[in-house]
Amino acid sequence: MTAVLVDGVVLGLQFAILGVGLTLVYGLGGVVNLAHGQMAVLAAIFTARLMDNGLPTVVAAGVGVLGIGLLGIVLDRTLMQPVYRQRGEARILLGLLLMLGVGFVIDGVLEWRYPIEALNLRIAGEPFTVGGLKIRRGSIVASGAAITVGLMLVAFFRYTTFGRATRSVIQDEEGARLCGINPSVVRTVIFGLSGALAGVVAITQSMTSPVVSTAGVSLTIFALIVAVVGGLGSVSGAFLAGILLGVVNTLSAFYIGTFVSSIILVVAAAVTILFRPQGILGTG
Amino acid sequence: MAVQENLYLGSFPRRPDAARLELVYETFPRLKERAGQHAGTLSGGEQQMLAVGRALMSSPSLLVLDEPTTGLSPILAQEAYAALAALRRDGLTILVAEQQVPLALDLADRGYVLDHGRITLTGSSEELANDPGVRQAYLGV
Repeated sequence: MTAVLVDGVVLGLQFAILGVGLTLVYGLGGVVNLAHGQMAVLAAIFTARLMDNGLPTVVAAGVGVLGIGLLGIVLDRTLMQPVYRQRGEARILLGLLLMLGVGFVIDGVLEWRYPIEALNLRIAGEPFTVGGLKIRRGSIVASGAAITVGLMLVAFFRYTTFGRATRSVIQDEEGARLCGINPSVVRTVIFGLSGALAGVVAITQSMTSPVVSTAGVSLTIFALIVAVVGGLGSVSGAFLAGILLGVVNTLSAFYIGTFVSSIILVVAAAVTILFRPQGILGTG
Repeated sequence: MAVQENLYLGSFPRRPDAARLELVYETFPRLKERAGQHAGTLSGGEQQMLAVGRALMSSPSLLVLDEPTTGLSPILAQEAYAALAALRRDGLTILVAEQQVPLALDLADRGYVLDHGRITLTGSSEELANDPGVRQAYLGV
């Protein structure tokens, strides 16, 4: 039971980082990035290819994460520009459809070029024993990385000028503009950050189980559910929801079955939308 | 966002300056009391103070205010103008559009009377305060 719980928290931390990336981009520009999971998988396959070509793991992972961050920046500067010119529902719909298309393209390319490629960074060695509980090395490293990234995000949003500027745009774009903040620059940088976060999740995920080239859609769905339950636009909400849903997912997969656990996650999202549409920590 | 974070945003894109923040808190002690509070929960007058305080964070050479007393009680309006007078004494140039003419004339060196977007009268505050037209239209005498 405790071992399952630990697995759940490990998975939840990955979910959380994935959800934060999605929620940030939505909060800033109203774009629901339906290619978020595909971007993560792209980073994973890119990293795997670099390793096949002889790059050391750490370098390959770094390049993979930065590369997908760069893709995020490029997407924001090109494909997303007509989206940001729209207002209200039109913007949300256009952003959603365009990113859905990007997701299809990434999925298609991966299936065409690298159908059996996968990133597997399983860390060898004896499991650690913490308080009589055996925890795999991969889980420890993955959680450590996710927690570090999470703390860095909190510090970024709380203590840096750019982080505060980002929050101000999420809260009130007009007000931010009046303070001399350029929302467009903030959006671009954060889209890049969101991509890099997806890359980080791909790397940490592959430490406990291989990330295959077809995993994109399910990762996108996880990210979406986490962002909805946490409240679209709320970073702390996404974090809490990620861990919560990770535990729920792992517990139900262990005691009932994988298929049922997916249903339970979707039900969690549906119940949230019905009873608390702003999410567990969202406002307004 | 908290009051203090709002003030920090005023110095964007530079880093907030501690001395500057202290000056704003000296000018508006109420903001210091509420530094950690969510800005949305402040009263109307306090939000006005915060808006002016945020503008001051960028160390401006000119402060432009559009009817800073809107929605303030007479006492709060007077307090706001006392704060502006203190800033003026410290050498800040202030341009203020105001319907509450007595308050504005007390603060200002020069005044301009606008009528439908045109300047119809101009002069030192003293001249304006003694102008029969102004006295009748705005000063209620």
